Amino acid sequence: MALDNYRSSYTFAMDFGTSDFKFGPISCGENPQIVNNRGYFPDKKSVLYNAFESTAEVIVGNDVPLYMQSVEDLSTRLIYPMRNGVINRDDEPAWKVVSALSQFGLRTFKPPANDGFHGYYVVASLSAVSPRYMYERLLSMLKENNSDGLVRAVTVIPQPFAVAIGHGVTTCVVIESGHGNSQICPISKYPIRSAQVALNRGGGDANAITSEILKDAGYGDLASEESLVRRVKEAIGLVPANLDVAIEEAKKAPKRFRAKFKVPGTRVEIDLDKDSWTRFLIGEYVFDPNHEIFESYFGRGMPRPKDQKMGDTIFKGTLDFGDAIITAVEKCPVELQPMLYREVLLSGGNLSWRIPERLEDFAVDAPTKIRLLLKEKGIKNVTVKMTQSPQFSVWHGCIIYGFAVPDEYEWDWQRLEGWMKISG
Amino acid sequence: MVSLSIEERFSHYFLAMGAQQITEKPALATLSFVIEYQTVNVIVASTNHLTQSNILTAMLDLSTLRATSNQLYLAIPRVLGASIDAQIFRAHGLGLLLYDDRRIDEVVSPQTLPITDIAAIAPNQDLLATTAQLTELKSLYLELKDNIAGLKAELTSIESRPQPMTPSIEIPQPHSLPEQHVYTSTNALPAFFTNNPWLDVLSKRGRESTERFAG
Repeated sequence: MALDNYRSSYTFAMDFGTSDFKFGPISCGENPQIVNNRGYFPDKKSVLYNAFESTAEVIVGNDVPLYMQSVEDLSTRLIYPMRNGVINRDDEPAWKVVSALSQFGLRTFKPPANDGFHGYYVVASLSAVSPRYMYERLLSMLKENNSDGLVRAVTVIPQPFAVAIGHGVTTCVVIESGHGNSQICPISKYPIRSAQVALNRGGGDANAITSEILKDAGYGDLASEESLVRRVKEAIGLVPANLDVAIEEAKKAPKRFRAKFKVPGTRVEIDLDKDSWTRFLIGEYVFDPNHEIFESYFGRGMPRPKDQKMGDTIFKGTLDFGDAIITAVEKCPVELQPMLYREVLLSGGNLSWRIPERLEDFAVDAPTKIRLLLKEKGIKNVTVKMTQSPQFSVWHGCIIYGFAVPDEYEWDWQRLEGWMKISG
Repeated sequence: MVSLSIEERFSHYFLAMGAQQITEKPALATLSFVIEYQTVNVIVASTNHLTQSNILTAMLDLSTLRATSNQLYLAIPRVLGASIDAQIFRAHGLGLLLYDDRRIDEVVSPQTLPITDIAAIAPNQDLLATTAQLTELKSLYLELKDNIAGLKAELTSIESRPQPMTPSIEIPQPHSLPEQHVYTSTNALPAFFTNNPWLDVLSKRGRESTERFAG
């Protein structure tokens, strides 16, 4: 493969994750820049807004907190456009945020003049379940907002496909699990779109059960603060190898399994004490919400994950990860299936679960849990692993894609691949 | 039986005490030894010099060897022993040995003094130098040990102090962005490119056959 000197310098990737926007050119090396995938619409009538020189309609990046006005405004003015991986067609504020973020990312890395720069080859990534109109909107957005010539060509690839590329495996099943949902995507040199399975469960659901647990433990006032609940989940949540065994042991020896968390930057401390066994519910709920113990939470008002259609995709609510993988793989040719089971890649923040010391007999990580779920259903000798860089694997894959795909491979709306030329 | 010379007899005498004879000796000394890192010089007065003045001369010679010796001995025939005031030897830290055909006796033990002439240190002073270094290291070690003990005590004292009324708050840092990104164009590829089979697969996009499994 001939080295493209231009693209070895001017390939640019954008990963629109459910929580974070990761961006940067190939020159960033291993780690891209990261900002929250959100935007703030300040009140134009406020004195604060007029005090700043910027007249931007939407603020993105690390300046967002500077413009926030009141807590009451956050729900309407602070927009997270891709919490579920999908933006509604007519959700204009969300699209404005995406546009602002993409411009912000490109301008952050604007090369100096006369540097031989004629625009980046930009690779953006979207959720595997993004409908066609999201591709259309994003491509046209980057094309239209190119007044400063920062984009030479653009393409969009699905995030699980980028994960497989970043990990260096050409035949595999990628499980991408983010805040709003999870996707199981078989890959064999191309994404096998017809075999994809989507689950209507993600990190947000783990947050929901964590919130219920906090309420039951007497921390009702904290349970409504989403960012705090997320931190508690990450600090104390565990995935059990077997939920019944883990609960029994944790009730017998609450001190050993005790869940405590002090919120950084505050004096708030959470201690589940004798109810620390509930920490196993958090992880179990993500992988398999069908245990009867969750019925009491549903009965008290916690929403049960439902099947939901978003865009062109039906998201399954309560399908466990084992059944989801089997469903996806069995939609592929029989000869391919063993090769797919041999490489199951996990990606996304919702699959990063830790195993505390002294609890290794009861708590497992995500790859082990998935192996156990598949083994229960008769699928053995499966290789499951986390991507080498869970946080950046999508961005890595986008960079490799942008570097390697020939310039003359033009965008095709059937394949949903190829370069859409913008300038030059 | 072969009769030994008096010098040989004294050699055997000191060797039996664990001494090591030094061949390079001061000119005035009859014999030189190292006993337990101490330099010992011996002047042996023979029976040919059995006069008071010669004894006195020998004692003066011993005194000149003081700078290069830790211990000094004068060995004289036993017959002169009665005429010698041992107190003089004791007062000057000199050792006195009396000998005859049958025996050698130490009548006055010498006083061990430090060598003041560094240049005259016997070759086997390597051991002394090493010992001195070890002593210095030991001293440093003890000093370090004391310092560490002091620091530990201070740390314990700090930890046992009551918490201040105003708690310290660790403010989490936001993601950082380059204020002014300095763009450096480089052809060096990141590590995640290494041995990645997708580079070959993707480079053939649009040029390969239509062989695909599904999608």
